[in-house]
Amino acid sequence: MQNTRALMACALVAGLLLAPAFAADDETVAYPAAGTVDGATGLEAWSRIYEVASHPRCANCHTGESDVPMWSGPSYGDEPRQHGMRIRAGESRIGAEHLTCSTCHSYSEIPQTVPHAAPRVGASWQLAPAEAHWFGKSSEFICAQLRDLERNDGRDYLALADHIGHDVILHWAWSPGVGREPAPYSLAEHIMDIHLWGAAGQPCPQD
Amino acid sequence: MATTITVNQTERSLISSEETPLLWVLRDELKLTGTKYGCGVAQCGACTVMLDGQPVRSCQVAIGDIAGSDVTTIEAVSGVEADAVRQAWVEMDVVQCGFCQSGQVVQAIGLLELNPEPTDGDIDTYMGGNVCRCATYVRVRKAIHRAAEILAA
Repeated sequence: MQNTRALMACALVAGLLLAPAFAADDETVAYPAAGTVDGATGLEAWSRIYEVASHPRCANCHTGESDVPMWSGPSYGDEPRQHGMRIRAGESRIGAEHLTCSTCHSYSEIPQTVPHAAPRVGASWQLAPAEAHWFGKSSEFICAQLRDLERNDGRDYLALADHIGHDVILHWAWSPGVGREPAPYSLAEHIMDIHLWGAAGQPCPQD
Repeated sequence: MATTITVNQTERSLISSEETPLLWVLRDELKLTGTKYGCGVAQCGACTVMLDGQPVRSCQVAIGDIAGSDVTTIEAVSGVEADAVRQAWVEMDVVQCGFCQSGQVVQAIGLLELNPEPTDGDIDTYMGGNVCRCATYVRVRKAIHRAAEILAA
């Protein structure tokens, strides 16, 4: 009986510790402090982060020096291809020099319910900055980039987590509308992984 | 609550629900059928209208997102670029079946407002989302160059 009570108490404590970690409201989440996570756990977190970064919902718009978004993923067949319609995002990354992304990708918080329609979100549709090149890049490459303040807009891991938590265009990856596979895990889990990776010292596979 | 927008310089209070695409408000509620339904997913450009001066695919715009905005359809496009495009389109006899042409014309006006002397590359990039099943692309390109000449004269 005592053992049962002890097990229940442990389960309750574990539940209290873990449940808030994946809550949608990041105000309630207790993130690990810097230096409190071991390297192996940090690398495991990184491998999940890479699954997200390399997923088509994210990588298709992280095309580096190329200003052409990509079409790839389960609904596009085996071979990735460039965005149709000769789309170029230009240096503005919103297509201002050519054809603005907003011609088709409307600024809207109303969910897209039509299969194959243009993705939309309550933010200006755009390509990621050229420095954030993810499409077709390795785990090692992206990891090195994300911990390099010169290439990640001066963000330490806390700023990266905050950026992901508050930039709603990124949230689209987990709610891409009808007919599109969302990025793996959840937004809350992804933010927790950024914290785990950062608290472990931002380890990369090549270290 | 009804959404109010300005369509072709007339304020309109709409009865359609806020998630209704602008295309269907124009065609079904306001009976402005010059704007065409082609695909409904922003793949063809037939439904292009001006929204606050920018060409957009009206099938992708929920009216709940554009309260207070100005919409101009093919029925009311105006200005020097519109006049030039209209003249050039007639001179070059661009239209074949015509279904995509209201979208092509609105998009071409948007291009010339942005860039009054477009190159072939500029035209191909800006007009790349406007599909024509009759393949009038060569005549569209020629007519845009002609409209640029008219604007420069």
